[in-house]
Amino acid sequence: MRDILVVKNATKQFGGLTAVKDVSFSVQEGMRLAIIGPNGAGKTTMFNMITGEYKPTLGKIEFFGEEIQGLKPHSVAKKGIGRTFQLVRIFDELTVLDNVLMGILAQKLRFKPTEEQIYEADKIIKTTNLQKYRDILGKNLTVSAKKRVGLATALALKPKMLLLDEVMAGLTHVEIEEVLQLLRKINSEMGITLVIVEHVMKAVMELCEKIVVISFGEKIAEGSPQEITQNRKVIDVYLGESKHA
Amino acid sequence: MVSSSRNLIIAAIVIVALIAIPQTMSSYITYVVALAMLYAILAASFDLMAGYTGPLTFCPAAFYGLGAYASALLTLNLRMSFWLAFPISVVGVFIFCVIIGYPALKLRGHYFAVTTFFLGHFIYLVLLNSRGLTNGPLGLGGIKPPDDMFGISFASMNANYYLILFFCVVIVSFLMVLVKSGIGRYLIAIRENEDLAEAIGINTTFYKVLAFAISGGLAGMAGSLFAHFFRLLHPSTFTWMTSEMVVIMALVGGSGTIIGPVIGAGVITFILEFMRFAPEWRFIIWSALLIVILVIEPKGLMGITRRITRRLRGGQ
Repeated sequence: MRDILVVKNATKQFGGLTAVKDVSFSVQEGMRLAIIGPNGAGKTTMFNMITGEYKPTLGKIEFFGEEIQGLKPHSVAKKGIGRTFQLVRIFDELTVLDNVLMGILAQKLRFKPTEEQIYEADKIIKTTNLQKYRDILGKNLTVSAKKRVGLATALALKPKMLLLDEVMAGLTHVEIEEVLQLLRKINSEMGITLVIVEHVMKAVMELCEKIVVISFGEKIAEGSPQEITQNRKVIDVYLGESKHA
Repeated sequence: MVSSSRNLIIAAIVIVALIAIPQTMSSYITYVVALAMLYAILAASFDLMAGYTGPLTFCPAAFYGLGAYASALLTLNLRMSFWLAFPISVVGVFIFCVIIGYPALKLRGHYFAVTTFFLGHFIYLVLLNSRGLTNGPLGLGGIKPPDDMFGISFASMNANYYLILFFCVVIVSFLMVLVKSGIGRYLIAIRENEDLAEAIGINTTFYKVLAFAISGGLAGMAGSLFAHFFRLLHPSTFTWMTSEMVVIMALVGGSGTIIGPVIGAGVITFILEFMRFAPEWRFIIWSALLIVILVIEPKGLMGITRRITRRLRGGQ
């Protein structure tokens, strides 16, 4: 499988604080990768550099061989990278259908949505299991439904790669199972590459083929879930810490 | 569909009534209605920015003033025809808004609002103190009415009234179509969640500046019409008080609806005119009225209307 995303020596400094230091990793097309690490490790900063919120102080980010560091978020989105936010963001005053439609219509300016676009939005709503909320305003939904709306809107961009920032945080076990199933479906049936930041370890271990561990802004390990669970460094800074907690 | 055809009928009745006013009412009423229509343009264009896109602006009066002075000075100093000066001043204010809006709109929330507040005051001070150009506090007189066009003379107040009515209808219709279009959708997305709008591929900077510039350009258009209708300009017409009035008209009418601010402009202009008999009470009474309306229904008159029609239909 070819590399879809390559991060080369990415560094981000905020004044004197180095949030991410010299991190490199690559994502192959169609894979499921997780970035894990303790709170404040720089995972979201890493995400924000890929999506264009932040410009890396140093380093390169390539998507399909094209350098994307420093592009504005809307240009990165148009290249085929969809994302969800850690603190869930949806259009509160719009219905679920309009939220998803906005994702579709954002790709190309036109006066009115076409029949096909509405059909397409309904298909995404069905995939994300939101049919019963279709005409309900975003602000009136539960947290778990809001997270799925965020995901559905990102899917509406027809992305090649999805970045999911803690999409499972705050969900119950049953809801996590549902999201896992959904993510597998998105990955295998739609062929979308997944990059997730996640604290729910069980989900990460079950879902992902490759894990990148970041601690204090630096990459300390990379490998399959089995390799990571046996990595001494990781156990020390991350899993060890949570065992004592 | 039923309600949209009903709205069209209401709009047609209002327009017919407005057409009849100069024929049936005194010249004083005609004058007040013309002013109300200019305010309606200001409030509706303000709503495109604050009601649809989100950022609150406190400088519609400044762009109103720029349009007025630009058009007046072009006709006075360069002997330009109104029909040339009018579009030039509108485009000029539009471009000015792009130049100002691009850096200013990097600020969000209160910071942007405060910036526009000072921009408005700054422009007022420039108009007031550029005595060589604007004649400063003495006012700029001798402005000609629009030149004859299509064999119509615009020398009379009534003809000018119809000119303002025409542009008021055109601008309000334009804005109503604009907010329903794809661009309007993008603006709503920006209002609802700017970061998300950007993340799904909307160029938020571009559309915010576009909305700001259209809003300012239309205010400039109202200014140009005002200059050639009133024929005397004074900087004090374009102070922050006027901006504030526009903001309040939009809020009272119901922001985010375009037509609400238009209604608000009409209602408030008339409340203020009716209370001329008690000048010292005027602002106190209507401030109290404003608070009452906003406490009862934060969505303004449009919100109240919606509630009543819903109740009449027996729903909810």
